[in-house]
Amino acid sequence: MSKVTTLAEAVKTIPDGSHVALSGFAITRCAMAFAREVVRQGIKDLTISQCVGAMDADLLVGAGAVTRLIYGGGSLDRFGRLACVNRGIEDGSLAAEEYSSLSVAFRYLAGSLGLPFIPIRSLQGSDLLNRINERSGSDVACVNDPFSGERWLSLKPLLPDVSIVQVQLADENGNAWIMGPRWDNVEQVKASKRTIVITEHIVPADFIRREPERTVIPGLQVSHVVEQPFSAHPTSVYSEYDYDSEMIEKYVNASVSHEAFSAFVKEFITNTKDEWEYLEKVGGIQHLNSLRADPILGY
Amino acid sequence: MILDYSPSELMAVSGARELQDHQVVAVGLGLPVVASFLAKQTHAPNMTMLFELGVIDPEPVDCGVGLADPRVWYRASVLSSFVDILGTVLHKGLVDVGFLGGLETDQYGNLNTTLLGDSHGTFRHMVGSGGANDIASCAKSTVIIMRHEARKLKKSISFNTSPGYLSGGNSREQAGLRGGPKRVITDKAIFGFHPETRQMMLLSIHPGNTKEDVLNTMGFLPALPENIPFTEPPTQEQLRLIREVIDPKHMYMG
Repeated sequence: MSKVTTLAEAVKTIPDGSHVALSGFAITRCAMAFAREVVRQGIKDLTISQCVGAMDADLLVGAGAVTRLIYGGGSLDRFGRLACVNRGIEDGSLAAEEYSSLSVAFRYLAGSLGLPFIPIRSLQGSDLLNRINERSGSDVACVNDPFSGERWLSLKPLLPDVSIVQVQLADENGNAWIMGPRWDNVEQVKASKRTIVITEHIVPADFIRREPERTVIPGLQVSHVVEQPFSAHPTSVYSEYDYDSEMIEKYVNASVSHEAFSAFVKEFITNTKDEWEYLEKVGGIQHLNSLRADPILGY
Repeated sequence: MILDYSPSELMAVSGARELQDHQVVAVGLGLPVVASFLAKQTHAPNMTMLFELGVIDPEPVDCGVGLADPRVWYRASVLSSFVDILGTVLHKGLVDVGFLGGLETDQYGNLNTTLLGDSHGTFRHMVGSGGANDIASCAKSTVIIMRHEARKLKKSISFNTSPGYLSGGNSREQAGLRGGPKRVITDKAIFGFHPETRQMMLLSIHPGNTKEDVLNTMGFLPALPENIPFTEPPTQEQLRLIREVIDPKHMYMG
């Protein structure tokens, strides 16, 4: 059965207030087309989670779509910090629950395995744990190892309503390959109730079946498949295209204030009717082609 | 005395000296990468380098802007995931040395990468943990790399993102943590930690600096053993490797 649909239709299935896991890591494989379409449709009150805060989450926070963020810290690498996320934390408008990367990954892992909790060595003795205990005592607790009696910190699973995962290729049923490192994406997908795959290319199922050991996301987890080239722009997709430094710098400059960011969102997102118009707006095929990855280097 | 090497080069060489053959090392970007490659090229050819997002032993040829840059992943032997690297290697207890840096550290090697506050309660949020807390919590030992400035080596830090020896003594073990920081390498000196109090302890001073230079530019007084030698300078071969083989394009060290 084909699960292929348009970005707009896939995003319409997400109600206000949903918990959405995003596949971005700093400035790579970020769910940018998804984030832009959420802003176009005016979806609000989202809870966002990811292991390392990335540009997809920062854009959604800056555009006012997020009330709660569960993450392991993050940045835009040397381009700068997550200015919208940081501003939200500083002025209190964003409820951020800040962990380490592995603790968020373990919460997804527990969710993916259907476990009620997962013990972890991280966080203990830190102010991260002190803050988490102050804000959401129910998500961390201590348990005794039933075999040794040793005391362990344990974490509640994360069970997102939907995962949004950017991939290089998938078939119509959502069987997907991720080339390059996968950070928390596979556990995110498997912990979530369902997944929207946003792929650079849809390939025939026979292509996937020739090397099925590369399938890291099985179609059974996937509700929708969207083919959208350059959907992670301006962030990179390994073996497909490089990050767009010029556009990331524009974003960073706009994110210094709420006013400048609103103007940025209006110019590039709400004033473009869809991703095709966005891609024209940021330079069109000639510019985008200059970002194409070298097949050996992968960038 | 005329120095024919930079403080950064001495820091990288000092970092390399902390690594042994066959060890597993968790690195971030910058100096730790140079230290690790230098160790690999000299005394530790069988060392394994891990990057938290799921990258083992890459051989980059171009400068990356951070861990999220595919330039950093080039020619890796493994590209996998957080659970694979930080879970089945780090959390399991297989990482011998983790390199850490930060905005601030205190005399017990606790590290802050989360926020900078003032006494009025206002704060600026910065980067947060990433894998740093996991490395600080789970590695057998850590090596902290910091610029030697009073605003970075502080009596008390605004936020403890990645625990060192907490409040000293056995407070780290009581919190359920093993391992702990082994060295702090700055551009002026190298510190260890006192075996009982767990206070930072001045081990050696980089040539060209005095003890006063070191102590006057930090916010707490470290433990001072009777005999504090100068840090052993880099060898010509180590400098050649850094300049001609490891970092000829100045990818890691400006």
